Amino acid sequence: MKEAMKGDILPRRIISGFALTGMAIMIFILFFLVKESLPILRETSLLQILGGKEWYPTYAPPSFGMLPLITGSVAVTLLSALLAIPLSLGLAIFLSEACPRLLREFFKPTLEILGFLPSVVLGFIGMMVLAPWLQERFDLMTGLNLFNASVLMGIMIVPIVASIAEDSLSSVPDDLRDASYAMGATRWETTTRVVFPAALPGILEACLLGVMRAVGETMVVLMAAGGSAVIPKSVFDAVRPLTSTIAAEMGETPVGSGHYHALFFAGLLLFLFTWAINLFAARIEARGRRWRE
Amino acid sequence: MKSRFLKDRLATAVLWSCMGAVLVILGGILVFLIVQGAGALSWEFFTQPPRDSMTKGGILTPLVGTVQLVLVAMAFAFPVGVLTAVYLNEYASGDRFTNILRLAVRSLAGVPSVVFGLFGLSFFVIFLKFGSSLLSAGLTLGCLALPVIVGASEAALKAVPQDYRDASYAMGATRWQTIRKVVLPAAFPAILTGGILSIGRVAGETAPIIFTGAAFFTPDIARSLFSQVMALPYHVLILATAGTNIDETRGIQYGTILVLLLVVLGITLTGVIWRARLRMRSSR
Amino acid sequence: MSRMKFQISNLNLYYGPTQALKDVSIDLPESSVTAFIGPSGCGKSTFLRCLNRMNDFIPRCRVDGRVLLDGTDIYAPGTDVISLRRRVGMVFQKPNPFPTSIFDNVAYGPRLHGVTDRSTLEGIVRQSLEGAALWDEVRDKLSSPALSLSGGQQQRLCIARAIAVQPEVLLMDEPTSALDPMSTARIEELVRELKTKYTVIIVTHNMQQAARISDLTAFFLLGEMVEAGPTQDIFTSPADRRTEDYITGRFG
Repeated sequence: MKEAMKGDILPRRIISGFALTGMAIMIFILFFLVKESLPILRETSLLQILGGKEWYPTYAPPSFGMLPLITGSVAVTLLSALLAIPLSLGLAIFLSEACPRLLREFFKPTLEILGFLPSVVLGFIGMMVLAPWLQERFDLMTGLNLFNASVLMGIMIVPIVASIAEDSLSSVPDDLRDASYAMGATRWETTTRVVFPAALPGILEACLLGVMRAVGETMVVLMAAGGSAVIPKSVFDAVRPLTSTIAAEMGETPVGSGHYHALFFAGLLLFLFTWAINLFAARIEARGRRWRE
Repeated sequence: MKSRFLKDRLATAVLWSCMGAVLVILGGILVFLIVQGAGALSWEFFTQPPRDSMTKGGILTPLVGTVQLVLVAMAFAFPVGVLTAVYLNEYASGDRFTNILRLAVRSLAGVPSVVFGLFGLSFFVIFLKFGSSLLSAGLTLGCLALPVIVGASEAALKAVPQDYRDASYAMGATRWQTIRKVVLPAAFPAILTGGILSIGRVAGETAPIIFTGAAFFTPDIARSLFSQVMALPYHVLILATAGTNIDETRGIQYGTILVLLLVVLGITLTGVIWRARLRMRSSR
Repeated sequence: MSRMKFQISNLNLYYGPTQALKDVSIDLPESSVTAFIGPSGCGKSTFLRCLNRMNDFIPRCRVDGRVLLDGTDIYAPGTDVISLRRRVGMVFQKPNPFPTSIFDNVAYGPRLHGVTDRSTLEGIVRQSLEGAALWDEVRDKLSSPALSLSGGQQQRLCIARAIAVQPEVLLMDEPTSALDPMSTARIEELVRELKTKYTVIIVTHNMQQAARISDLTAFFLLGEMVEAGPTQDIFTSPADRRTEDYITGRFG
């Protein structure tokens, strides 16, 4: 407060107060997730929740094994990342290195618009278009499955990964490109050997944030993943990730029941998992920045 | 040596096809939904509430509900978000508190939407006793929009040249006067654009409102902050997965989807175009 | 004086509607140092970048005229720009090492052009670093990040990187403008050594530098090449009034 001037103290206090809101929300989220999920540990053990293969929350006695749900989340996340990341990086490189300037002004917003498609719309496309096609084409029991959800999830995360990766590629200074071209490198060689490595921390961050979004995304998996709580054995098996389980079941659960607390526990798992990815991504990005300076 | 050029050509072709794929996907989805949904749109569709267990009628109630949710969310998130950004960009001094605050905002941006729903349920609905209501759902959406607004506003404030601030200080203005009279007005168009884009995000969200205030069906438009509301995205989910006679209401479903899409993309496009114009003006 | 490496005649360059170079004609002899001098914005850097076609990247940039490298027009249709740039290396104003190790920086070019054998690469890296008078300082830390070097060392690394592909010509765009006087002296000394093996063309805003290191000097003003000739003549008895004004510090 060295430089505090008269008349400046009150606004400063008020603004700091408002700024605290975000922090408060974050703390409250963590607090309420923990508070509402802890009681489940009185009913069953942590090991049974994390390792149990049976998710029968409404049976008597109920069984709260979340392994199939966790596997479902992981499977959709990995498969969608596998589908989306190559395309996203291609897009990022295209926009930053190969795209003519004028077209870029058009393509970048287009990509952004894709990112604004409501997830419920994509889920609906999965149900109405992709599922029947998959079912017919591959002669499946149901087209609502891991693959379907992963394709749509891929569409959701492409704009995120591509735009963050593009930022990172574009921020590589031009003099590095010049140096490479001046040695007789082609554009592709310059991109893969100079620009891409220099942008790597940002690109890793982009991929991690895409994965984070895929782990936490709800509507697409709720509508298109098929919803059966078993560990998938093929990409055409139906899955029930953590997010869709919460969304589908919370509405019909009495507040304070074991099932209610179990769903909060699932939420806590999601929260911690995405938080870890987020912090890891932030760290990579920060380290990359230091290395560049 | 020739293979190097071939590789370069090939890579360029692959890159162009990546962009092509995205255009096809986006264009395909939009065209498909417009073709399927346009038939359902009519004057009545926008001005009538759903009738006969939602198998007939329009979407007035969910449409208005979505607008109400957005208003509540923005009433909360916009001022808080902008002031948080003001703090981070104008007051913060890189101390421990600021770092933690930044970390919190970044973390908040990564919280899954369904977890926001759980938080809204336990905090707004149960703990604060707001019940399942417009207020609870709107505030939950506001929490989700907060980091988006902070991010956009901070970028807008950063873009204000330091000269402006210096000039103001040089005339003996306090920091707050400088922010209010110089910095905020200069940054405001860009801040507003960020706000508009966050509306696009909020209007399409479903997961956070499912158990905080979205209603399966309400006969009337909500007249109080404590009533439940219908919302377009939730309406789509219900009609498609839990409606009465799912197959016969396909027309309404596509119509609702199309309206949701028009609302969300309309808002987003407005924001995107506005931002492009701002950039053009500032680069001139 | 020896054979002409570059023969440039009637070169014009336009950025959209504005003409940045007007009718430049000059011959640059092999195994010598030629300096381009002139006030900022006079087109000397632009001209330098014409010689390895780095201006190709600038949108709406158009070049006409002839630039002969060993008698072949480098702007002729079908010219292989990639191998042109291999023959005509470049060092930039600001040191721009890649954010990789020292070794990988120098090995970048040879690897591009197909050298994979480790011991060959090591030989090239060592030779190039010696050629750039950097070897003794970095021999024990070839795998440390290039960005950990000082500014002057980074610039010498960039020179090493450029000569690692054994170019015939070395273009240097104000290579010392971002450096301290010590490093500058070091690089000037290096330039004098380099000319035994390469044709060096250097852009500088520093007239003393041009006088110290170059054999020939060309003076640019407002996109025109006003005068060119042996450095000594230019600095002692310039033919054009404008050159004299510039050299005696009346403007610029």
